[in-house]
Amino acid sequence: MTSDTLSRGLFDLVGYMLTSARGLVDEPPLYGPFRLIDGVSRLCEILTQEDEENKAFYKDLKSKIDERKYTVMSDTDTFINLMDELVYDFTTKLKER
Amino acid sequence: MNLEKAIFGRRSVRNYSSKILEKKHLKELLDAGIWAPTAGNIQPWVFVCVTHTKRIQQIHTVSPGMLGNPQALICVCSDQNRAVEKAGPGGRTLAIMDCAMAAQTIMLFAYGLGMGTCAIRSFNPSAVRELISAPAHIHPELLITVGYPAESPKPPARKKDVFFWELYNEKEGKKDDE
Repeated sequence: MTSDTLSRGLFDLVGYMLTSARGLVDEPPLYGPFRLIDGVSRLCEILTQEDEENKAFYKDLKSKIDERKYTVMSDTDTFINLMDELVYDFTTKLKER
Repeated sequence: MNLEKAIFGRRSVRNYSSKILEKKHLKELLDAGIWAPTAGNIQPWVFVCVTHTKRIQQIHTVSPGMLGNPQALICVCSDQNRAVEKAGPGGRTLAIMDCAMAAQTIMLFAYGLGMGTCAIRSFNPSAVRELISAPAHIHPELLITVGYPAESPKPPARKKDVFFWELYNEKEGKKDDE
């Protein structure tokens, strides 16, 4: 990722976080976890191209999120299970470091 | 396409193909929107159709609920001056309802043309207003993403326990003479 693309990616993420913060004041409670998880997916996209050593980890994390994130609207249990799995995946990776 | 198929087949699309949308089809969508029902014939809506990639990306940045890669965006806005001038303070609420009905009309029409859409309310209205250079009395109510679908989303379950007959909570209804 070039420095311009990285800068653009992070700039967009700042916009996403700012407008999410404001929007969540008036939105359903479960949108909070959804925005954070979607934010992780967006960050993983940047890190996949930036952090060669952990590329596979970020790619898998993003893929897992994008596959099931919309269950927040139709199947809350599946969405919560997804978050539990993601935390487990992250912790496993953390132990390896 | 028959109306029944459109009503039951339309889905919220969040993954679009790169197939280019023709401007004439976007114009047809906008034409359909102005034929939605409107309280007191106020027609409080304003539609800003955005097709420039850079502007779509800018709006995306301030719209957390906008997911996917649409070819176009329709900002369905209410003209607050017109709404209040014609209907008094209650005009603001009526304008929101009218804009919602216009949005649904647009989305059904788009589905009939083979396009996908998704209505979005999770965006920052002030930021979107600024990005489309609209004055203060033009309030963005909904964004509709538009493109050719790259997916066929599964229909989510619908609640079936929301129908009543004659009276609230009356499941079957009774004849007047019973």
